[in-house]
Amino acid sequence: MSLSRIRNFSIVAHIDHGKSTLADRLLSLTGTMDAKKAVDQVLDSMDLERERGITIKAHTVRLLYRAGDGQEYTLNLIDTPGHVDFSYEVSRALAACEGAILIIDAAQGIEAQTLANFYLAADAGLTIVPVINKIDLPAADVEGTREQITEVLDLDGTEALAISAKHGTGVPEVLEAIVARIPAPPGDLEAPLKALVFDSYYDSYQGVVVYVRLRDGRVRPGMRILLMSNGRTYEVQQVGVFSPDMRPVEELSAGQVGYITASIKRVADAKVGETITEALRPAAEPFPGYRDAKPMVFAGLYPIEDTEYEALRDALEKLRLNDPAFNFEPETSLALGYGFRCGFLGMLHMEIVQERLEREFNLSLIITAPSVQYRVLTTAGEVLDIDNPSKLPAPDRIEQMEEPYVHSSVYVPTEFMTAIYKLAQEKRGEHRSLEYLGKRVHIRFDFPLAEIVVDFYDKLKSISKGYASFDYEFADFRPSELVKLDILLNGDPVDALSVIVHRDKAYERGKALVEKLRGVIPRQLFEVAIQAAIGSRVIARETVKAMGKNVTAKCYGGDITRKRKLLERQKEGKKRMKQVGKVEVPQEAFLSVLKS
Amino acid sequence: MGRDSIESLGAVIRQGNGSADLARIPTVDAPLGVLADTTPSSRSVGLYIHVPFCTKRCFYCSFNTAPLEHDDEMRRYVGALRRELGLLATTSWAAAVSLETVFFGGGTPSLLGPDDMAGILDELRARLALSPAAEITVECNPESVSRDKLAAYRQAGVNRISLGVQSLDDSILPVLGRLHDAGGARRAFEAVREAGFDNASVDLMYGLPHQAADTWTRSVSGVLAWEPEHLSAYGLTLDAGSLWAVTGVEGLPGEGAVVEQYWALARAAQARGFEHYEISNYARPGFRSRHNQIYWHAAEYLACGPGACGFVGDVRYGNVKPVTRYCATLESGALPIDTAERLTERQRVGERLILGLRLVDGVPRAWLDERAAGDTGLARRLAAWREAGVLAEHDDRVALTESGFLVSDSVFVDLL
Repeated sequence: MSLSRIRNFSIVAHIDHGKSTLADRLLSLTGTMDAKKAVDQVLDSMDLERERGITIKAHTVRLLYRAGDGQEYTLNLIDTPGHVDFSYEVSRALAACEGAILIIDAAQGIEAQTLANFYLAADAGLTIVPVINKIDLPAADVEGTREQITEVLDLDGTEALAISAKHGTGVPEVLEAIVARIPAPPGDLEAPLKALVFDSYYDSYQGVVVYVRLRDGRVRPGMRILLMSNGRTYEVQQVGVFSPDMRPVEELSAGQVGYITASIKRVADAKVGETITEALRPAAEPFPGYRDAKPMVFAGLYPIEDTEYEALRDALEKLRLNDPAFNFEPETSLALGYGFRCGFLGMLHMEIVQERLEREFNLSLIITAPSVQYRVLTTAGEVLDIDNPSKLPAPDRIEQMEEPYVHSSVYVPTEFMTAIYKLAQEKRGEHRSLEYLGKRVHIRFDFPLAEIVVDFYDKLKSISKGYASFDYEFADFRPSELVKLDILLNGDPVDALSVIVHRDKAYERGKALVEKLRGVIPRQLFEVAIQAAIGSRVIARETVKAMGKNVTAKCYGGDITRKRKLLERQKEGKKRMKQVGKVEVPQEAFLSVLKS
Repeated sequence: MGRDSIESLGAVIRQGNGSADLARIPTVDAPLGVLADTTPSSRSVGLYIHVPFCTKRCFYCSFNTAPLEHDDEMRRYVGALRRELGLLATTSWAAAVSLETVFFGGGTPSLLGPDDMAGILDELRARLALSPAAEITVECNPESVSRDKLAAYRQAGVNRISLGVQSLDDSILPVLGRLHDAGGARRAFEAVREAGFDNASVDLMYGLPHQAADTWTRSVSGVLAWEPEHLSAYGLTLDAGSLWAVTGVEGLPGEGAVVEQYWALARAAQARGFEHYEISNYARPGFRSRHNQIYWHAAEYLACGPGACGFVGDVRYGNVKPVTRYCATLESGALPIDTAERLTERQRVGERLILGLRLVDGVPRAWLDERAAGDTGLARRLAAWREAGVLAEHDDRVALTESGFLVSDSVFVDLL
């Protein structure tokens, strides 16, 4: 197929500005599929995605469009994930496109995510097609929005298309603009195959289904391919396109978007960012920017019922098939028994894995406080990587401790600069550079990873009213004054509640922690002392008083059913408790460690 | 699934004709509903009769009550109740069971006139097999009894009175919404004795608003001085359905104070020769409430009256609560059963535990060991409660200790 008749694009927008509605319209207008079905199947196909209003996996669909010039074009719509935990995946999906439709709500104008997404797309070198949506609303201000586009985004606002995706007004023009304004993909049909992997998932029948964008060459079944990052070779079983269901085709060629199956057993063998080429005639070099997605945050996952250990392992294995960024290995905890130490890209990633385990595999879990990976130099001269605070050697065996730092970039409108600097200071950020870019600034900080994994992104969004964008990558390990903060219940340390913190923050953190725990640990038959300690020094203490009474005086008139049901309901609540020594500790106690 | 265990339970009654999963609500065409589909496992059962009427509803009360505004209402209710007894008598199994206990609860059963009481008990004897040794209890409020009325009750066959005294503190009684005072309570108890009752129980409440330790001990010693055979003492709870659950109430004593009141009563009752045989109940030897023990032994009982609950075979059921609907349903010729559930084996075991452990006698150790043998979690939890001094073993039984009674709900939740 001629490259000149292919367009690869994504749609970016602030939440609720009409991305799904426009995608629907494009699909139905090109006869790809009926609109209702499209939303359900193509966009946000995981329950979790719909509920959280975020896209976790990339999605893609091929539209065939006969343009005004009488030619038929192939338009590939690639939908991207939308969270900092997945910024690498976003960057790869955008790298598979030449252009992006930027939707702006005519009544609300440019919003925080409009900007953040615009920068991502612009930084990826994409041609931006601004579209003003919802012009049917009484409050629509099309001219004002055009001015905003010119002023804030430095694009030509007069070229923005004015549409109502809901009513279909102006949508044909969007299709024309995609053809007219977004460049055709560059590429060489005769050069060796060179394809970018921008997503992949595991299918139990076909093995890994790899989403690719071809830059050069062709790929067809039977061809021997080489994965350039790991040197593995496979024979292609099937190639195809998404229309929107998977549909096999004879060949994919330069510029096209589609999928490849090649009996690849694990998603980890064909990761996002991978370059696929021909085994016999490899491309000269892979695409730049391949990054092995490394877990940044580690936490223990334990079944509440010991009997669910095997089930948890099976579930983790199934999840990992589709998610190479997530890893796990068995560990034991004195408090919690047998479980797994798991590594995640970030907190959202961790929450998603937890929710999927509970929802799709019906497991009840305890997650311990998340930790980053520290580097410890012992007095004996060993170097240890510690991702579990309870594994930290005794202080007298530690020569030096180092913690991971990240280089980060914050883009934010100038008016929020002060707030950002204040937050950075709280989070032990080290300022690197400041650059003025019109009405916004680009600030670079180095942060200890531990300070940003938990709630930094939420705080940043909140203090900047959503306008700040944030990205980070691992920098290096740096020496740091770190201590282990232990939590003791009735004098016994609970390993699963230990955290490693900076010395300057230990007291404040310990106090907040025990207060929080006092609130969530229910009363027991005996008094429960909750202490925070560094070594043998107790720095904070709270007490949960013993239960004085818990008794129903009367089962009146023989109404046993009511009484039994009442107790059965309480029993349900109790299933979320883990017995730690003699103390019953509810699930949320372990998570409260990170939220205090 | 039939009830194949029926023989082993020693029942003589043939199995009901319905399918076991059915818990049918009665209709005019099938007036016995679920009671046609189940049969008692035992030859002897209890009977609870709910008399819903009250002159005034107490503020803490969450039971099914109704104001008594016209004599007609009582007349209609009594008529419906007699029909209900008549319908129960038409079950296939009625002729084979005898009633070992009858308990008139309320509401305020002592609002029943002597003639109504006699009429109900006569109907009962005519329709069902009332054991000659049956315990027949009537709950009475002090302000609605007199020596003559009580004597007439006794004449009608009543042989046990449960008097709702609640407190002997004249500053607390009106706070509760009660209509009597301490003097009235004492006179009522005297009337019980004068009418010839040698089996009388008194109800008390603690944990009440503004109730100090000494006012409670005065109520306890005052009542014990009357020398009743039985004493029930309930800690106040703000149950859903009560006025106080909605409005809240001021001046409730703290948990420590309520626990102290519990112990003050336990000590005083023991000193007077009472045994603390159930969480909230004390009796002189030989005077435990036979009717209430049916509940705690997870044994069977029939139900009459609006909102009354019964247990027959493996079916727990409840009557409709509104008095007019109760009457109308019976007038149409059907039993007024509103809810019914068949217990699963697991629920039956759970109930035996949570009911049996309310008693000082607890549950048979062998039975519990058998349960724990197949359930390591249960075995571990039982051991933990034993170690904590909440459960104890004596002879061949396992029971809550007297301090264990105080946290019994925690134990029940754990063992369910």
